[in-house]
Amino acid sequence: MDNNIAENPSPTRAKWRKVAYGGMQPRFDDNHTDDSFLEGMVMNANVVKRDMLKVMQDSISISQYLCIVVLVGLVWTYTLRSTLDETSLLYLDVSLLGSGFLVLLLTKEMLSLNLLLHYLLNVFLFTTGLYVLAPVYQTLTRSISSDSIWAVTVSLLILHLFLHDYSGSTVRAPGALKNPTLTSFISLNASVVASVFIASRLPSRLHVFAIMLFSLQVFLFAPLFDGHDVGFCLYTTPATFCSVVGFIGFCDCGVSLMAYTDARIQV
Amino acid sequence: MGDSKRQRILMVSDFFYPNFGGVENHIYLLSQCLIKLGHKVVVMTHAYGNRSGVRYMTGGLKVYYVPWKPFLMQNTLPTFYGTLPIIRTILIREQISLVHGHQAFSTLCHEALMHARTMGYKVVFTDHSLYGFADVGSIHMNKDCHQKRLVYRKGADLLVEVIPEVCRMYPNVRFIVGGDGPKRVRLEEMREKHSLQDRVEMLGAVPHARVRSVLISGHIFLNSSLTEAFCIAILEAASCGLLTVSTRVGGVPEVLPDDMIVLAEPDPTDMVQAIKKAISILPMIDPQDMHNRMKKLYDWHDVAKRTEIVYDRALKCSNQSLLERLSRYLACGAWAGKLFCLVMIIDFLLWRLLQLWKPAEDIEVVPDIVLSHDED
Repeated sequence: MDNNIAENPSPTRAKWRKVAYGGMQPRFDDNHTDDSFLEGMVMNANVVKRDMLKVMQDSISISQYLCIVVLVGLVWTYTLRSTLDETSLLYLDVSLLGSGFLVLLLTKEMLSLNLLLHYLLNVFLFTTGLYVLAPVYQTLTRSISSDSIWAVTVSLLILHLFLHDYSGSTVRAPGALKNPTLTSFISLNASVVASVFIASRLPSRLHVFAIMLFSLQVFLFAPLFDGHDVGFCLYTTPATFCSVVGFIGFCDCGVSLMAYTDARIQV
Repeated sequence: MGDSKRQRILMVSDFFYPNFGGVENHIYLLSQCLIKLGHKVVVMTHAYGNRSGVRYMTGGLKVYYVPWKPFLMQNTLPTFYGTLPIIRTILIREQISLVHGHQAFSTLCHEALMHARTMGYKVVFTDHSLYGFADVGSIHMNKDCHQKRLVYRKGADLLVEVIPEVCRMYPNVRFIVGGDGPKRVRLEEMREKHSLQDRVEMLGAVPHARVRSVLISGHIFLNSSLTEAFCIAILEAASCGLLTVSTRVGGVPEVLPDDMIVLAEPDPTDMVQAIKKAISILPMIDPQDMHNRMKKLYDWHDVAKRTEIVYDRALKCSNQSLLERLSRYLACGAWAGKLFCLVMIIDFLLWRLLQLWKPAEDIEVVPDIVLSHDED
């Protein structure tokens, strides 16, 4: 069967063409290629160039948030073990509130008295509401075993970390929560529910109020500070990290000291 | 070239009849042409539903439907060594001289090639294009547009911009769109938005047997894929005598001669220009002439002859002992090389075990049955 096109039956060697039709080209191997074969090749078409500084900033904000959540978990643990009593918790809450306001004063450009009063009113209402609802939280999980509570809390915290919106430190127009996505809502709810579960295990109403205030301060208000000042982040992250390590170390020392003295007393 | 010795070829792939698609057609037609050239061809694939065991197809093509269940997209479960006994049996029974595997996505193919190499047979591998699965094959053409599968890969989004523009410029142009897929909704929307219901006809999925009758009702074939390795659709359209307008992507420029196709960049304005040009040269196109040319440009017997050349080359390769092969595998990478060597050593040991357990003498050899060619 005739299957070759005789394009130009010239005596000289015909030029090799990069075509699929026409069968084998005469006097050329079937797998012959010449220099023009890879002309259309495009390499690295979709490579994204990354800026080192920006990548560092983003990773810092993520690790900072991880440290904060670990600190919260630590406070919970030591409250549950009665290492931290309710008065120190209340001091902690007040100092957090105070430092929050300080940061606000330092970073907001125009701060009128009206705005300040508005914020103070909100905080007051929030705190009062929590205090009123504290007895409800206390009896919420009385019928559930402790093991389930710990398991659910840990999984909720992991879910919170997983779905949290870490893009807060990217450069955007300043404002409150910007374009919140479904996952950020889910993560926020997870963290709040985890705090409620932990609070419900505590003995007294004041305990419950203090721990709820602390947890909600961190989870609700911390994202608001995310975009404010990257330099601020750069300083606070090492501070947060060191405080985590220091806190763990201090409390472990305290616990082991107590255990030691306990042992001594028993002997 | 010339009269090479009669070979016994085993074609291995997960994709074969009763599945329809590019790979399946290729294997079947190539096997038929090789049989006509005088070789013996046996096909091995996995069982399709009830179709299991040995079947004979046209021309004495023997097909082994090995009773393995497909687990994902028509592929058998990769068990590395599970197929070794059956492949060894088939290779010895049919006295195979060469194994030809098809399609990179076929696990059965890769396993067969691996075992064939271990047992010392020569192998050839053909990788078909990335999207080698069964096509819906819906092609529509009519004085205008043609659309295959409405997925993003096929540039349905391009069509959404091109069709209204062309309809506006040419009042007597109509489009027939065939195919189904995720982007069909966008085309329907476009149709509603510009009130083109009487000018754009959506046929839905077209079975492969009806493709030709739809094609010949059109004059221009429009292919707007954004990625394409070869595009059989263009060939089918050209065989039906349609002028093709296509995006210049992938291997499309190599498929047809320049006078049968108008190429455009994957950009709406460029495509509209190309359609304009195509409509202007349409009166000079003779469909019958195009069909006759296509018959000469692409020919399965030619493919078979070229494949024969490859087989001859493969058979001339030197026999390599296990140690020589292992040294080549080691060069594949720091960790991968050692892993590959391990896999091949275990394969070799299993083969030796099989030789002791089921000696080759005990396997019945199939006698050669040559169908008389006069009966074709």
